[in-house]
Amino acid sequence: MTEDKKQLLEEIRKAVIEFDEDRVKELANKWIELGYDANEAIFEGLAAGMEVVGDLFAKNEYFVPEVLMCADALYAGLDILRPHIKAEDKTETKGVVVIGTVEGDVHDIGKNLVKLMFEVAGFEVHDLGKDVPLEKFVEEQLKTDADLVCLSAMMTTTMPGMKKVIEMLRERNPNVKIMIGGAPVSEKTVEMYGADATGKDAASALEEAIKMVASLREMKRKKEI
Amino acid sequence: MKYKVIFQPSGRRGEIEEGKTLREAAIELGVGIEQVCGGNKVCGKCKVQIQEGYFAKFDVHSSMNNLSPIGKEELRLLNEEEVKNNYRLACAARVQGDVLVFVPEESRVGGQIVRKAAGEINIELDPAVRKYYVELPPPTLEDPEGDYERLMRALKEQHGLEGLSMDYHALRALPLALREGKWKVTVTVWNDREIIGVEPGYNDRTLGIAFDVGTTTVVGYLTDINTGKVIAIDSMMNPQVSFGEDVMARITYAMEHEDGLQKMHEAIIGGINKIISNLCNKAQVGVEEISEIVLVGNTAMHHIYLNIYPEYLGVSPFTPAVHRSLDIKARDLNIKAAPGANVHVLPIEAGFVGADNMGVVVALEPEKKDDIWLIIDIGTNGEIVLGNKDKLLSTSCATGPAFEGAQITHGMRAAPGAIERVRIDPETKEPRYKVIGKEEWSDEVKSEARGICGSGIIEVVAEMFKAGIIKNSGVFNTKLDTPRIRKGENGQPEYVLAWADETAIGKDITVTQSDVRAVQLAKGALYTGCKILMKRYGIDAVDKVILAGAFGSYIDKEASMVIGMFPDCDLDKVVAVGNAAGDGARIALLNRRKREEANAVARRIKYIELTVDPDFQTEFMQAMYFPHMKDKFPHIQHILDKIPK
Ligand code: B12
Repeated sequence: MTEDKKQLLEEIRKAVIEFDEDRVKELANKWIELGYDANEAIFEGLAAGMEVVGDLFAKNEYFVPEVLMCADALYAGLDILRPHIKAEDKTETKGVVVIGTVEGDVHDIGKNLVKLMFEVAGFEVHDLGKDVPLEKFVEEQLKTDADLVCLSAMMTTTMPGMKKVIEMLRERNPNVKIMIGGAPVSEKTVEMYGADATGKDAASALEEAIKMVASLREMKRKKEI
Repeated sequence: MKYKVIFQPSGRRGEIEEGKTLREAAIELGVGIEQVCGGNKVCGKCKVQIQEGYFAKFDVHSSMNNLSPIGKEELRLLNEEEVKNNYRLACAARVQGDVLVFVPEESRVGGQIVRKAAGEINIELDPAVRKYYVELPPPTLEDPEGDYERLMRALKEQHGLEGLSMDYHALRALPLALREGKWKVTVTVWNDREIIGVEPGYNDRTLGIAFDVGTTTVVGYLTDINTGKVIAIDSMMNPQVSFGEDVMARITYAMEHEDGLQKMHEAIIGGINKIISNLCNKAQVGVEEISEIVLVGNTAMHHIYLNIYPEYLGVSPFTPAVHRSLDIKARDLNIKAAPGANVHVLPIEAGFVGADNMGVVVALEPEKKDDIWLIIDIGTNGEIVLGNKDKLLSTSCATGPAFEGAQITHGMRAAPGAIERVRIDPETKEPRYKVIGKEEWSDEVKSEARGICGSGIIEVVAEMFKAGIIKNSGVFNTKLDTPRIRKGENGQPEYVLAWADETAIGKDITVTQSDVRAVQLAKGALYTGCKILMKRYGIDAVDKVILAGAFGSYIDKEASMVIGMFPDCDLDKVVAVGNAAGDGARIALLNRRKREEANAVARRIKYIELTVDPDFQTEFMQAMYFPHMKDKFPHIQHILDKIPK
C-alpha cells in the first residue's frame, strides 16, 4: 500500500473518532477521486475508526452523544463510498442479523448503537425498528435465514416479551442464535429466558455475536459434510 | 421444605419455602429492603450480610452454605471485601437452610425524611360534603309517614334540598339516630345529591382527608372542611416499596405474580388506613367522622389503589383504564372512614401523567395565566406542563431514579447522613459539603456522611463542572493534579468527595464517571422534554419555571440550571412550590367546582408523546452536555465564563 493511501485511511479513521462529519465526507470523496477501492476505505477507515469509538464507549470515555456523532460521520462516509463498492465484494458478509426492540417498547437508541457496530463489522443487518410485534421477529428470521436474532428491551414490563419471542423462534428454528440486551437484561435473564448471550454495551454485543456466528457456521459446515 | 429466616435488626422471622430468594422472604415477612431494580440483579442496592453460627435465641444454625451458591451477577456487584464478609444480594441468594440475615443501614428502606409539609392555600370553600341540621315533627298515628320521607320533607322545608337519595348504610342508621336525637339530627349530604350520614343532634364539624399517594411516600392531610384548616398531617413510606421501587417495577410485579396486584393493593390500602387511624388519634376524632377522602397519585398508584390491573399502563401505547375523575364509596375500597363516606379520585391526563399532576395543575391554575409557565415535577418520572390560558401541553419523560439516589454508586435517599450540599474550590478542587441532620459543613465538623442524596448529586455534578473536573461532555479531566481524582476499581476515573475517615461507612464516598453518565441521561431526558414541548408550543423561552414536587424545593436552582436540567430562564423566575400535588388534593377536598374544572382541564391539556417525536434523539443527545451542546444560557453565562479551561 502506498504511503498516501495509508495516510488517507488513517485520516478517515481519525475523522470518525473525532466525529468530524465534514472531514469524513471530504476524505471519502478524495478517496474515490483517487480511484481507490471503496471497500477498503469502509473497513480499514470508517469501520476501524468506529471500533475505537466502541472501545472508548465501553470505557465510558465517550458517551451516547459522541457515539451518535461518530455514527453520523460514519454514515456520511458510507453514503459516499457505498455506490462504488465492486460487485464481487457485495456478497461477502460476516453473518445475517435480525434486530429490533420488542413490542411495547420504543427505546431504540441503545439498539441503534448495537446495530451500528454490527453494520460496521460487516454483518447484513435487518432492522425491524422499535415496538416490533413479537411474531415479526420469527417471520423475518425465516425470511432472511438470519444466523442471529437480537432483541432489545429497556423496560421491565416489556422484557417478558423477549421470552415469548425466544420460545417461538426455538420452535421454528432450533439452530438460530439469540442475543438479548437492554438495561434490565442480565446474565440471569439470558438463562431464564433461554437466550444464548447478552452484552452490556454495543462493543461487547458485537464481540459475542462474532463468536456465536462463527460457531454456528462451523456447525452448519460440519452438518453439510 | 421450609426453613427459618430471620432478619436483623428488625427481628422479623418466619418459615420460608426452600428456593425462595431472600428478597421474597423479606417481602413475605414485611422487611423493607432497598431494591431499585425490582429484583433483577442489576442495581446492587439490596446487599445483605449473612451472620454465621448458632443463634440460640432463634434456635438456628445460620450458614452461608444454607443459601444457593454466589452467582456471576453478585460477584459483579459485590466487591472482594464484601464477598469475604458474607455479603449477598437479597434478590439472588436463595434459601436452602436456616439463615440469619442482617440488613445493613444502606440497604434498609425507611428512615427517610418526609419533605411534604402542607403549604398555605387560598381557596373558596365549596366542599362536596355539607352538613345540615334539621328538626322533624315526630310521627303520630295521624302522620305515620316513614323516617326517610319525613326527613326529606324537613330537608326540603328547612334547607330547600330536594330529590336526595340515601346511602344504604346511612338509611340503616336513620331510625335510631332520629329517635336518639329526639327528632333533631344532622345529616351529611354529598354533592347536593345523596345523604351519606345521619347523626343525632347538632354537629357541624365536617372532616375529610386529602391523600397524596406517591411512589415512595404517602401523605395524608386531615382537614376541617368547614374552615379549610389542616388539623393533622401524617405520612409513611409507601408500603408497596418492598414490591419494587419505581412504578414500572410494580407494574411488572403485578404482571408476573397472579396475586401481585391484590397484594400491592392491600398494602397501600393498609397504609392509607394506618395513616387515617394515626391522624384520628393525633386529632382525637373518631374514624367514623371522616366524611370524605380525596386521593391523588400517579397513574400506576391510581390503578393499584383502585385495584385495577395496571399492565397496559406499562407497555406502549400506555392506555389508562379511565381518564375522568371517580367517586367511589370508601367501603368498596376497604378504606376506613364514615360508613357512607366517598372517595374522590382526581382525573388522569395521559398514560404517564397522572392524577398527581392534575393536583399540581389544580393548585397552580396555569390555565388562567397570561404568562407562559413551564411546570416541572421532578421524580423518577419527570412530568412537564407548559402553557398559559391559550394552550396547555404536557408530557412525561423517564428521567430514571438517578435524582433519587439510585443508580449512583454512593446514592441514597434523603435521610440523615446524606450529603445534600456541596461546594468545590475551583483552584484546589477541594470540596466542602453538608449532610442532612447536621447544621455544620464538613470543614467544621466530622461529617459522618453515608452517601449522597438527589439534591447533593445535582450539586456535586454542577460543582465538578464549574471547577473543571468534568468537561461539558461529562468526561473527567484526568490531567488535574489532585489526589481527589483517581482511577477507581473498574479503571474509570472518580472524584473523592469524602475520605473514609470522615464518613460513617468507613469507605471513601466518590462520584464516578458512570455516576456522571447517569446524571447526564436523567437531566438530558428532562431538558429534552421541556425543549420539545416548547418547540411544539412555538416558543424559545418561558416566562417562569416552576419546580413542583417535594424534590424541587430542595434542589439548588442555580446548580440545576448549570447542569442544564431545564432551559435558560431568569433565576428569579425559577420558583419551587413544594408538594403541589398534595395541595391539589386539599383543594379538591374543599371545593367541588375545582373537581369539575379538573376534569375539563385534564381533557384540554394536550399530551405530547415524546416517543414519536422525530427530533427526540438529536435533542436528547445535545441535552446530555452540560449545560447543553448548542443552546445558550444567557442568565448563567457569567458562571459558565469562569470555568477553568
Ligand atoms: C431516552 C429514554 C427515553 C426516550 C426514548 C427515546 C428513544 N428513541 O430511544 C423516551 C422519552 C421516548 C422514553 C420514554 C419512556 N420511557 Co424511557 N428512558 C430513557 C432513558 C433516559 C435513557 C435510555 C437510553 O437511551 N440510554 C442510552 C443507551 C445507549 O443505552 P441502552 O439503551 O442501555 O443500550 C445499551 C445496552 O443496554 C446495550 N443494549 C441495548 N439493546 C441491546 C440489545 C442487544 C441484543 C444487546 C446484546 C445489547 C443491547 O447496548 C446499548 C449500547 O451500549 C432511560 C433512563 C436511563 N437513565 O437509562 C429511561 C427508561 C428506560 N425509560 C423508562 C420508562 C418507564 C419510559 C416510559 C414508559 C415513561 C414515560 N415517561 O413516558 C416511556 C415509554 C416509551 C416506550 N413506549 O417504550 C424507564 C424504564 C423503567 C423500568 N423499570 O422498566 C427508564 C429506565 C427510566 C426510569 N427508571 O424511569 N424514554
